[in-house]
Amino acid sequence: MATQRPDRFDQVDWDEVTESSGFSLTVNAKGLLATTIPLVGLAVYDWQVLDKRTPTFDALGWDFDVPGLDYLFAFTILLFVFYVALPLYQNPRMTRYYWKEFKRNRPAVVSLGWIAFVFVVGLIGPLFVAAPEQSVLHSYQPPMYLSVDTANAGTCLGETANGRCFGTWQYPLGTTRAGKGVFAGIVHGMTISMKIGFIATFIAVLFGTTFGTVSAYAGGWVDEILMRYVDIQASFPTLVFYLLIIYTFGGGLWLLILLLGIFSWEGMARYVRSKALSVTEEEYIKAVKVSGASSFRVVRRHMVPNTASSIITDTTLLIPGFLLAEAQLSFLGLGDPTVASWGQLIAAGRDALAFAPWIVLAPGLMLFLTILAFNFVGDALLDALNPEAAAEAER
Amino acid sequence: MGLGRYITARVAWAAAVAFIIVSLTFLLLALSPNPQVQQAATQAALQGDNPQEAREQARQLRGLDKPIHVRYIDYVVGIFTLNWGWSTMRSQPVTEAILSSLYYTAQYSIPWTILTVTIGPIVGLYSSANKYSWRDHAATGFAFFGFSIPNFFFGIILLLVFGIWLEWVPVIYNTNVAVFSLENARQLILPVFVLVTGSIGGIMRVSRNESSEYMNADFVKTARAKGVSPLRAYALHILRPTMVPLSTTMVGQLLLLFAGSSLLVEVVFSIPGLGRVLFESVIAQDTSLVLGTTLVFVFVGVIGNLLQDITYTVLDPRIGYEDR
Amino acid sequence: MPTEDRAWMESSDEAPRYIRRRQWLKALGVAGIAGFAGCQGDGDGGTETAADTPTDTPTESGTDTGTDTQDFGETATESTPVNQLPEPSGTYDTVTSAAYTTLNPLYNTEAGAGDAIGFALDGGYTFDDQQEYFPLLYDMSTDNGQVWVFEVREGLEFSDPYGEVTAESFTYQIQELHQTDWAGTADSASWGSGVNVEQTGTYEFQAELPSTNILYPESFDPLLYPVPKDLVQPYVEEQDAEGLRQDEELLELQFTGNLGAFVLDEWNRGSGTTYTRNDDYYIQNIDEGPDLFEGAPYFEGASTSVVQEQSSRLGALETGEADVASIPPTRFQEFDEKESVNVLQIPQPYNEIISVNMRDNGWNAGPGNLFRHIPFRQAMAAAINKQNLIDGVFQGLAAPHYTWQPRWSRFYPEGADLSTFGSGDQYGSDYARGLAEDAFEMSEHDYAFDGDTMVNPDGDQVALTLYHSAGQETERLESEFAAQELNNNLGMNVQVEAIDGTRFDNEYWSNNPVEPGTTATVNGEEYTWNAPSPNNGGPRSATSNQAWDMSMVFGLNTFPRNPLTNQFFFDGPNSFYNPVGYYPEFNAPELFQQAREATSVEEVERAFAEIFVNVAREQPYIMLAFPDGLTGYNPDLVGPIENFSNGWNFPAWRFEEG
Repeated sequence: MATQRPDRFDQVDWDEVTESSGFSLTVNAKGLLATTIPLVGLAVYDWQVLDKRTPTFDALGWDFDVPGLDYLFAFTILLFVFYVALPLYQNPRMTRYYWKEFKRNRPAVVSLGWIAFVFVVGLIGPLFVAAPEQSVLHSYQPPMYLSVDTANAGTCLGETANGRCFGTWQYPLGTTRAGKGVFAGIVHGMTISMKIGFIATFIAVLFGTTFGTVSAYAGGWVDEILMRYVDIQASFPTLVFYLLIIYTFGGGLWLLILLLGIFSWEGMARYVRSKALSVTEEEYIKAVKVSGASSFRVVRRHMVPNTASSIITDTTLLIPGFLLAEAQLSFLGLGDPTVASWGQLIAAGRDALAFAPWIVLAPGLMLFLTILAFNFVGDALLDALNPEAAAEAER
Repeated sequence: MGLGRYITARVAWAAAVAFIIVSLTFLLLALSPNPQVQQAATQAALQGDNPQEAREQARQLRGLDKPIHVRYIDYVVGIFTLNWGWSTMRSQPVTEAILSSLYYTAQYSIPWTILTVTIGPIVGLYSSANKYSWRDHAATGFAFFGFSIPNFFFGIILLLVFGIWLEWVPVIYNTNVAVFSLENARQLILPVFVLVTGSIGGIMRVSRNESSEYMNADFVKTARAKGVSPLRAYALHILRPTMVPLSTTMVGQLLLLFAGSSLLVEVVFSIPGLGRVLFESVIAQDTSLVLGTTLVFVFVGVIGNLLQDITYTVLDPRIGYEDR
Repeated sequence: MPTEDRAWMESSDEAPRYIRRRQWLKALGVAGIAGFAGCQGDGDGGTETAADTPTDTPTESGTDTGTDTQDFGETATESTPVNQLPEPSGTYDTVTSAAYTTLNPLYNTEAGAGDAIGFALDGGYTFDDQQEYFPLLYDMSTDNGQVWVFEVREGLEFSDPYGEVTAESFTYQIQELHQTDWAGTADSASWGSGVNVEQTGTYEFQAELPSTNILYPESFDPLLYPVPKDLVQPYVEEQDAEGLRQDEELLELQFTGNLGAFVLDEWNRGSGTTYTRNDDYYIQNIDEGPDLFEGAPYFEGASTSVVQEQSSRLGALETGEADVASIPPTRFQEFDEKESVNVLQIPQPYNEIISVNMRDNGWNAGPGNLFRHIPFRQAMAAAINKQNLIDGVFQGLAAPHYTWQPRWSRFYPEGADLSTFGSGDQYGSDYARGLAEDAFEMSEHDYAFDGDTMVNPDGDQVALTLYHSAGQETERLESEFAAQELNNNLGMNVQVEAIDGTRFDNEYWSNNPVEPGTTATVNGEEYTWNAPSPNNGGPRSATSNQAWDMSMVFGLNTFPRNPLTNQFFFDGPNSFYNPVGYYPEFNAPELFQQAREATSVEEVERAFAEIFVNVAREQPYIMLAFPDGLTGYNPDLVGPIENFSNGWNFPAWRFEEG
């Protein structure tokens, strides 16, 4: 099987351009630059020119404010587009091969569909579904087709019969104590989950690959120091640090994402390092070194791309951890209550579980399904991207 | 470098890691405001006393008036002399607080660990022996369900159904029942179940995947051909090599859950264990207790990693200890 | 969580529903301090711990002269004389949300722990269902309000070897612990150096106050727990505060003899306390109180359990695992309809308010500070519909808050022409805008309404931030409700933000004090600050580290039993507690003076009627509501009453047979 295996996209593409000149850029990098520059421009404009409370697109008469975090979110999406999605398109043959491998795992295909759904709805859903708004008189409305004891509901919006209040389409999944629609909360929760997933992953990948590749490449005492640091971090009782830091500095979404990203890359660094170590042994790296390529260039052009498949797999398995961590911290009351995340929704509903279980069940189920989907996809990717392992397993 | 030296070096390093982490915790705590001091000042202000004085007094009482390096040295000396300080939040010595909460944590952790470590590999092996049968699919489904469902969410739901609706298990955790009694088993069954579901999935998956590598390996075939009973073949020839990568996963999974989910499970099931003590002490800024409990968690983490490394080295002769 | 909740101390969120002594902090309703409890909390402003056990005594009360119309709730119906005392049966099991910090009576400042101590040790006195002084360990009397005589009951015994409780048990404690600097006891502030204590007999001592105070018992300052002299003496000689604080016998209440209804068996730090019946309880032999005291207590034991999850506490109440638990407003009706629970609703004096920062770092929406103008604060109060707030957030289980006193207090200015902003015609957009426009006139800056929005001199919408404690769900609901109302009715853009209580206190709420003796002019009056403190740092230029506009983080007590305490809030430069920089524009110092020097309760009432009318007008804090305390009991339990003093006769409580 190994003989008929086509070239891996990540081994082929990246070198083509670099052969001629160190300064020319790949299509991917150009695309990224072309889209990032206006983004940065907008961010600078928002930050420097506009005062704090003016909506970003005020000048265009569009009352739409871009919160600070969204710039980073947009950037990570661009990165994803140009360095994950675009390469797949650029290498149709490889893509077809991966897809063929991936497709064999049916739950994973369904899961991928689910993730794509969450991603798309999270991205454009907020444009159609207004953010959940408090309306205290409409507390604890039941979901459509269900009912709740009128003793528990606020002013019942739907019909009441036999002392029970029935749901309405205004709130298809019912409301919380604050009268916020659970459905709207779930849609906006998708956005938040995507932000957490993308940005924290970005941070983790940034640190993990840097540490891993540098460590592998430099070797010697640099390797020793970096890896010993990774050891320390791996032994961190992470939750304790989350607690301490979040309790001390407040649980903003920003801080949470930053912490999640910063305290989660040690596994990736080790993984990347070992992968990169085996790559360093390859003849062509030696050849490149001999031909006088700079260290940075070797790392950036040869080692990072060659560990890409491990990074992607690892990432898929990191994201569910992030989502779970956010939910757990929210449950402990340490999250940011103004953020409409699933975790916050669960936290808000747990006291009402006995009579209004939908508030916990709906987001809990979403969280469960999403984590499940990422796990399935990660599992399938592991098989698809590591054909040796898969082949070995089937022998 | 011999095995002995390797282990010595590893242990020394583990101790250093524990020390660094605890120092970081100390620093973090020193930087955060103390609510009790604030409280004392507010209280004094309301009663017509001088809040500044009350603040000073409260700081002095908690030893916060000394410069940070003096406090740090005191603390470090305390660690080694086992004088871990007094918990203001619980009005008892920190060591006592830790021991008594560890007692409750152990009551669910031990059954949980034993169940996970025994059932996980066995089911994984079974799955791999019956690959792609409906049993394998069921086991895989269960594994994914287990590690995907958020523990605390699962716990709340189970408690609601079995505690409040069906009344099969008590809602309040009772600390006065004997450890080996039916009551204790009843009140611990849900937390243990939740934790086992959470940790077993990963182990099942790894042992299934790893052992399938050996299922048809030549040495297993040889053994079978020589007439080794299937059970013996599984136990000796397949389980042993599987255990190498599995031990990593196991230690990692258990540690992760111990430090993370155990806290949430303790909160959900009102078990007065170590995780909750840690969390509560962080909130109450009970410095001595935070540091004490952190030390325990770090210790467990470091020792876990250490054991994992050593097992790895011992179990798999292919791995040399020279590299690391 | 914080929080709260966090919060996990839960707590605090739970505004205490029964006032207890030493409840200052709780009295502040300090949401985030003990934590987030909320966080863990319970965020629904429920009534948790405080209400859960009735053994401790309520504080502050209007006293004696029963001539007044004040309604502290229903009174215990004295059952027909009992021929046969009931047999003790069952255990009285309570649940609370937060574990106790200490059970050492000298150092406890928490309501929950106060309850746990109260099972095993009685305090000096309490107030009965008529709000009359009821002597437990000692009786108090006075001729002129300045010298108070304490008569200690005879026959009170500590455990061996400490012997009898005498006047010395109290005077020694006061003089050697509370009135010294080294010990730092919880009561030290109640016994300032101005109070002159003297033993006048074996069972009698007296306290001479610096000035008259006819409401002295109601202030709960003279409430003491007896502590054996021989037990504390070694620490006194060494001046060993740490030893005293950590003393095993004090912490585990091993000295309580016949002084409590129960004996503490075990205090499990993480999970609560257990007690067994005290067969020699002194109350069996006293003359006062109901006949039932003769066989008290009527439970074989008692216990408190720490259960953090609110749903678990309520579940325990429902399944009968607990006999009492507080109920959040959202579950009130549901539990009220249940056969298995008997729910009591008791009005409380803890308020829900919006604090507006009148200091220089308040009002970050443009030049000037509109909060300083009375009409603007009135406009804000008028823009928030109190009834909708109460219905929406408290499910109707709260009373509107117009002035700094609940309606049922005797000091409430009944019949006076009181402003009722936020209700009836004093609510609404037009009305509120009218008031706001008056404030714009007073301001030297050019604020105005541009269509529906309130704009600053630059023409931008007025945008402000409102903080609430993280993890406190009720507080958040209130904050968002207020923000919506201010937006709809006044066109202000109010951002709601969560913050940890301790952080808020440190960085936003506490001022940086000026030098004592600083003078400055506020509202055209010259003031001098003699004792600036973080809670009243000086003129409005003395500010906190961080700028803030509005906050719901802290609620306050309104002291219906002893309203004199309210001078802490409204006496301008001399207030102990004035973080917001409020200076009354009525003659507050003189009225407080009148009240202090009063020799009859009627005089106090007259002075306060005037004060409260003015406070209602000036809205030093934007007053919103008084949430009720809601507690669920086992329906077989005989004894609980819907009265502010619920629990005063706890020794007579029992389970109905059958």
